[in-house]
Amino acid sequence: MTDTRLLHTVGVRALDWLWAHRDGFRLEPDVDPEVGFLERFKPVGELALICGVLFREGVAGSQQAELARRLVDHTWRDTLDGGRALVRGQRIEPLSPIPFEVYRPYRELGYSEPEVERATALYHRLTSWSALELHPTRRLGLSAFERRYGLTPRPPEADIVGNTWLGRTPEPWTVGGHIAYDITHAVFHLTDWGERPEGLPPRIADYLATWLPVWIDDWLDLERWDLLGELLVVDACLPRPTLDERAWQAFAAAQQPDGAMPAVRTMPEGEPEEVFDLVYHPTLVAAFASVLATSRALSEMAHVTS
Amino acid sequence: MEQSGTGALLQGAVQDLSSDVASALRGGGHAPVTGGPEDGITVAAVRVLGADLLLPHLLARTPPPPDTLDTLRQTVSAFPPRTDAAPTVVWSHWAMRRTLRHFEQPPDSTPAAEEGPEPDGAWLDGASWQYLTHQLAVLAPLAVPGADCAVARAARSRPVDVARGFVRAVRRRDWQQAAGAGRWLTLLDGVPDTLGLDGGLDFVELMGGSDPRVALQVAAARAMRRAGALV
Repeated sequence: MTDTRLLHTVGVRALDWLWAHRDGFRLEPDVDPEVGFLERFKPVGELALICGVLFREGVAGSQQAELARRLVDHTWRDTLDGGRALVRGQRIEPLSPIPFEVYRPYRELGYSEPEVERATALYHRLTSWSALELHPTRRLGLSAFERRYGLTPRPPEADIVGNTWLGRTPEPWTVGGHIAYDITHAVFHLTDWGERPEGLPPRIADYLATWLPVWIDDWLDLERWDLLGELLVVDACLPRPTLDERAWQAFAAAQQPDGAMPAVRTMPEGEPEEVFDLVYHPTLVAAFASVLATSRALSEMAHVTS
Repeated sequence: MEQSGTGALLQGAVQDLSSDVASALRGGGHAPVTGGPEDGITVAAVRVLGADLLLPHLLARTPPPPDTLDTLRQTVSAFPPRTDAAPTVVWSHWAMRRTLRHFEQPPDSTPAAEEGPEPDGAWLDGASWQYLTHQLAVLAPLAVPGADCAVARAARSRPVDVARGFVRAVRRRDWQQAAGAGRWLTLLDGVPDTLGLDGGLDFVELMGGSDPRVALQVAAARAMRRAGALV
């Protein structure tokens, strides 16, 4: 089992980098609506989600929690213009689930924009919204978000799990990069981003406990840090996490002194905005994995000592 | 130049022999395995195949042609393992002796070549699943139905780890290791159903079967699966 300090430090450094590079969370207000104003919402929504996990788990130090709070505040006020950017997104593309998906974690953190809520209530009533032809794992996530938001999930999550790749527990040797991301996201959605490990049906938890070590070993050797980080999150969502020492040490060693986590092998070069776009996700994932793994390691210790 | 020429010759001989054994395994073990001229290359190639030279006969319970048996006998005496040899070398040699003894032993025949005491299996104690699978794949000739030894016991006690090693080998496109691990898995109880071993062996053959050594291991796995036997 990995030293808890190492698990924790990865997250502290990741958050430092995210705060220092907060201007990278930016929309493109002047982009041609046909090209996709909503394209740049994803990083913002992911940031709010991960900060939500950090507050929930309560294992962050006060300084780290303060930075997370300021990051969420900054992105709500500046990037999302106090929620107005989400309203605009809903007007440009009414049936897109993206503004709702970004809004949901902010709302859980106490922010609100009544117009987003009005539109969401309406879209949720429409058959078209539940009939959207989404990838099954994404659909699972949307239903989970609806439940969290207080809406009736349509379709119910239990009806969707069997359509996801993971829900069918297929041959583990067929897993490649794309499938692996489907696996990690199915786990995020089933466990409410690590809040409820018991949300994993036992059949799926057993499957993951058996095969996850192989995938971790593989993507560790390939130095694909972004995916490895997500797999380490999955590990922390299992009934008995391994907190694999070799993987965590390599993951921590790949992190830059300023806290940035390269997506693959080493840091990319380029203009600051380009580098941000390539690096923000693995760095967020590092923060996420760190918080969950630290929390699980501390619970294990509590079990051992009690 | 001379060395690489010999290397290529040896490699060719190993491939030819592997193809022969694989096709005998596919045909139910009735096709004779050619012994070839008893020159150094053949004996060296047999050393690479090890006990698998006689696998078709072992599985089909047919006597091997005398010259094939003789080639294996020559190989055993030509390459005694050095005292500092790696465990896989020692075990591979032991497996050849055991196979020889199996065919030399029948009721009315004369002196058995003693396979000698079983080598030490302790090097696999506490091995990581990655290393365990690698070593087992190198020692695939020990994966035969009904034959107990320390290596087989190590495999039997860790079916999930061997299954993990199979997945790892497939992911890394190490078809030979995958085929060897797959062959062991056909003999083990407790392999997770979600592995999908049958499809996995087909996949290994599809992707790596043009290498006769891979084809041999897949054919061995299938032949043992047909036999439905457990170690």
